[in-house]
Amino acid sequence: MLNPSEKAYCLALLALKHKDYRIASDHFNKAASGFKADKEFNLYRKTTQLLLAVKQEIAVLEMKKEDKLEIEEILPNG
Amino acid sequence: MSQYETLKTLEGVLESFLDRIVMLKQDRIDVLEGINNLDDIAQSSSDGFEVADRIGEWFAGHNRWLSKNILKTSDIEGISHLLSNIQTRLDITEESSPAEKKILSEIERWNRSKKTSQTVHTPAREQSHKIVLKRKAEQPPEKQEKSIALFDKTLRRCLSMLGRSSINKKHLLSALDDSLRTASIQKNKDALLLSAFTIYYLKQNGYKVEPYVKRLKETERLLKGDKPNA
Repeated sequence: MLNPSEKAYCLALLALKHKDYRIASDHFNKAASGFKADKEFNLYRKTTQLLLAVKQEIAVLEMKKEDKLEIEEILPNG
Repeated sequence: MSQYETLKTLEGVLESFLDRIVMLKQDRIDVLEGINNLDDIAQSSSDGFEVADRIGEWFAGHNRWLSKNILKTSDIEGISHLLSNIQTRLDITEESSPAEKKILSEIERWNRSKKTSQTVHTPAREQSHKIVLKRKAEQPPEKQEKSIALFDKTLRRCLSMLGRSSINKKHLLSALDDSLRTASIQKNKDALLLSAFTIYYLKQNGYKVEPYVKRLKETERLLKGDKPNA
C-alpha cells in the first residue's frame, strides 16, 4: 500500500488541480518527510507556500483599504 | 506600481506557474488519483470491509489504462500489489456472483499485464482479451436483511474513516471539514455520507451548520457530475 508521504503528495497535487492551495500546502507538509531530497517536490511545495503568503498579504492590504473607505464615508456626515 | 499591484502580479504569476504544472502533469495526476483510490479500497479491504462493488467501479473507471500506454512499470507493479492484497481478502467461491468472479478475472488480467510489461515493452497488450465490466442489474431488494447488512457495512466504513480523519483534530468540526474535503477531492461517497451524518448530529446539538450544508450540497452535485455553482 502507499506510504503516508506518497498519499499526501498525491492529495497535494489533486488539491493544486482544484486550486485549493491551503489544502495542497497542508498535504505537501505531510509529505515532506518522504520527499526531502526531491527537487521537484520542494519547488511545488515552496511555490504553494509563497502563493499563500502573497494571498495573505493581499488580504491584509485589502482589509486596510476597506477600513479607509469606512472612515471616508463616516467623516462627511460625522 | 503600488505594493498591492506588485503582489497581485506575483499572485498571478505563481498561480499560472502551478496551473501549468497541473496541466503538464495531468495524465500523471490522474494515474496517481486512481492508484490512491485503489489504495483506499485496499485499506478498507484489509480493515475487513466488503469492497466488491467499489473494486468493480474502479475497474470500470480505469480499464482504459491497460489499452493505453500511460502507466509506468512501477505503476503496474504498485497496482498489482494492491490488487493482490484485495484478492487475498475477497471470498470468491463457486457460489459467488458473476460480478464477483469477473472481478477476480480482472485482477488476474492486471497480473498478466504486469508480467507482459516485465518481458515485452509494447503498448498494445492484451488487445484480444477484452473484458467489459458492467454493474449487475439493479434488483428489487429480495431480502430486507441484505439492505440492512449493506447499510451496516457502510456505517462501519464511515466509522473507520472518522477514526482516520479525526487524528490530531481537536473538534468534530475539523473532522467534518476533512471528510468534506475527502468527499470533494476524491469523489468519495462514504466521505459524503459521513459528512451528512456529522452535520445532522451537529445540528441536533445546536451548532450552526449552514456553511457545511452548502459545501455538502456542492460536493453532492460534484459527485453526481453536475457543474458546481459559481
